[in-house]
Amino acid sequence: MIEVGTELPPLTVTLRREDLVRYAGASGDFNPIHWSDRMAAALGLPGVIAHGMLTMASAVRVVTDWISDPADLLEYGVRFTKPVVVPDDDKGASVTFSAKVDKVADGRAEIDITAVAGEEKVLGRARAVVRVR
Amino acid sequence: MTIDATMVGRSYAAAESYQVGREKIREFADAIGDPNPAYRGADAVAPPTFAFMLGSRALEQLLNDEELGLRLDRIVHGAQKFSYTRPIKAGDDIAATATITTVRKAGDVEVIMYETALTTVDGDPIATSTSTISHNRADA
Repeated sequence: MIEVGTELPPLTVTLRREDLVRYAGASGDFNPIHWSDRMAAALGLPGVIAHGMLTMASAVRVVTDWISDPADLLEYGVRFTKPVVVPDDDKGASVTFSAKVDKVADGRAEIDITAVAGEEKVLGRARAVVRVR
Repeated sequence: MTIDATMVGRSYAAAESYQVGREKIREFADAIGDPNPAYRGADAVAPPTFAFMLGSRALEQLLNDEELGLRLDRIVHGAQKFSYTRPIKAGDDIAATATITTVRKAGDVEVIMYETALTTVDGDPIATSTSTISHNRADA
């Protein structure tokens, strides 16, 4: 039974430069701010940053790991509030995702997702709506 | 030329449909580090954010509209939302049309919202992607 306040199992993902290169290739997003320190610095960024869409893809895993049928995901949205800086080292950047059911009504559950890298929230208003059976 | 609110409603259809293959779905799932078995095999469905990629050919058309005067390297992705009618799956042949829905200006920055309708080539709805982007016209 899905109830308001139910917490979904959290997930921590580590993003390294290699992961950004792989995502660039698979998604076709070759913006150099995701792989070149020089280009990232030229745009005033603190370093190479992860693709927002990669962070968004990682965040929804908390929900898709929890529902049994992927067809039950009805809506998913985020705001990209802070960039995830990915250093060129073995450690990379860790992002922890957690989620909680905020509302259940009319056969739908609304789930709030939180994404934290270091001490900062990197996504805002991250919310998924799933069908409840 | 620059974009303004009179351009709300302009629509851009992808020149070609996107044929979804199961190996592309697997490649994408691997790239986001997601081992979910639903994204693999003959009956594979695509991870939720795969939908964003399907809009890229329509976005290309939008960026090519010289009257808007937008440059990809001046764009920051501010927000993204998807509504799904059904999951995208291997074998789908998907048409994408992007429509400008909002234009707001704040100094050199233009905040643009556009909605991309993803449908089968016969027009049956699959998903809608709503993107908010900021375009900065200021010279660095």
